[in-house]
Amino acid sequence: MSLFLVSLRFQLRLAPRSPGTLQVWATAPLFTAVFLSIAEHAGRTDLTSYAIVAPTLMGQWALALGIAGELITEERSQGTLEAMIATPCRLSVVVVGRICAVSLLGITAMAEAWLVAGLGFGRWIAVPHPFVLGAALLANAAAMAGTASILSSLFVLMPSARIVQNTLNYPLYLLSGVLVPLSTLPGWLRPFGRLVFLSWSADLFRDALDGAAVSGPAARIAVVALLGLSGYVIGALLLARVLRRVRRLGTLTHT
Amino acid sequence: MVSNAEQGPVRQEAPEYAPGGSAATDAIVVEDVGRVYVDRRSRPTREVTALSGVSLRVAPGEVHGLLGPNGAGKTTLCKILTTTLEPTTGSARVLGRDVTGQSRAVRRSIGLVFGGDRGLYGRLSARENLWFWGAMYGLRRSRLRARAEVLLERVGLADRADSRVDTFSRGMKQRLHLARGLVGDPRVLILDEPTVGMDPVAALDFRALIGELRREGRTVLLTTHDMAEAEAVCDRVSLIDRGRLIMTESTDAVGRLLSGYERVVADDVPAELARRVEALDGVVAVRHEAGRVEVETEQPSATSAVLSVLAGAGVHRVSTARPDLGEVYLHLVGRRGMAVT
Repeated sequence: MSLFLVSLRFQLRLAPRSPGTLQVWATAPLFTAVFLSIAEHAGRTDLTSYAIVAPTLMGQWALALGIAGELITEERSQGTLEAMIATPCRLSVVVVGRICAVSLLGITAMAEAWLVAGLGFGRWIAVPHPFVLGAALLANAAAMAGTASILSSLFVLMPSARIVQNTLNYPLYLLSGVLVPLSTLPGWLRPFGRLVFLSWSADLFRDALDGAAVSGPAARIAVVALLGLSGYVIGALLLARVLRRVRRLGTLTHT
Repeated sequence: MVSNAEQGPVRQEAPEYAPGGSAATDAIVVEDVGRVYVDRRSRPTREVTALSGVSLRVAPGEVHGLLGPNGAGKTTLCKILTTTLEPTTGSARVLGRDVTGQSRAVRRSIGLVFGGDRGLYGRLSARENLWFWGAMYGLRRSRLRARAEVLLERVGLADRADSRVDTFSRGMKQRLHLARGLVGDPRVLILDEPTVGMDPVAALDFRALIGELRREGRTVLLTTHDMAEAEAVCDRVSLIDRGRLIMTESTDAVGRLLSGYERVVADDVPAELARRVEALDGVVAVRHEAGRVEVETEQPSATSAVLSVLAGAGVHRVSTARPDLGEVYLHLVGRRGMAVT
């Protein structure tokens, strides 16, 4: 079992005892109801897939970003961060494994959103491309972990990085077309949106819920994975650099 | 608490340390290490010297005590040796590897044990904790599980292996700490105040376990401000105060070095007589309370003079004794007690 899998399982064991991790299951149905109500009010029943995809991705991303910062803060306060740094393991692998666990758990939010649409609004959405959806969900969970791990290095460096964490969510949702299609954004902003893995994931999810054939699913899933991998590499490099810095400054245990 | 089951291979007897031996063969070599913290949170920024010119060598298989009051620099030295902190000046090597340049190799050969509640996952069981920490040292699958079981048995927690750690007593947590420190089968163990907060019985058990580690040939660096603990388990002790190493000697030698020190205790001594005793040459300290006087001397002739004066004044309830390590320590670092400077 690799260190990645050990860390993933470790976080899965912690999850039922961490109420913060479970918040996605409380917020996803509410967001779904809000989005569906707006779509219904506007007479845009064609946006039902948006109302399912958006809460899923928002919940997953909030969870991933939350744990990326929280795990460093918690490890630091309970003294385990220092003990971990004193082991030969690669902290970046531990971090990404643990974030991956919660982003995988967050996938269940999609089932919740789907049920809310069906039971609450009578809109039972078919899943005509289950394999594309499944692969996209897994790639997206991994990409989330990789990208969110960048934030962990920030938390090692600055214990007060929570403000950055809190301000990252909604701009990213907008930029990545999770809430509204990228095509509705100003032209100059769209290329930036394509650099965010979430925009590819959101499109894939919506296409997988649509009756039409999904164009180039493998390539698009590969883009999600590659963007996530890039995030992981950046996060790992940053973390290594930050750890060298805090060792030099002696600020590892600062809270 | 200590089980005989699966204690691991007995490597060698603890060696006699030969000062001047090869630095290449020493388990821990600290050369002129200094550490200065810059407090950037204060205005203006200020520099705090935690360690200054510390040199120390610990032989393989030795149990070495690092003694000092709070704030003396013990934990800073531990952090440097466990690679979580870089020295500002000087160098340190563990099993021949530099803690700065070869930090990953150093981490493979060390185990770190904290004191107190920190360093464990309270929401997980003891077994889950060891699985996780074992994985940090590269252990996998059956080897990891077997190692966890051996250690749980060894530290007497096999019966509570599936209990959440936050339900454990302080002593049980400390035993789990030690198991965590041993999970990577390290040749060098750094124990930072391992018995802090333990009750006396648990502390005795813990000392027995350290004895086992010595018999296995592991090198142990133990920080403490408990003199009795250092006397009970250490081959040698280093006294550290305000970031400076005052001396390194065998526990016995420290006593011999200070053999000139004696303590005279007498009852029914009036205050005026106590003042006369205090004025004698060679008397370094006098404590007088409710008629009882405790006199510390730094040479045998002074002890004789004190006894003569007391006898001459008709005081007959008198006793003398050698100082314990705690008193030796206080002689060396001064009587500022355990105050943080």
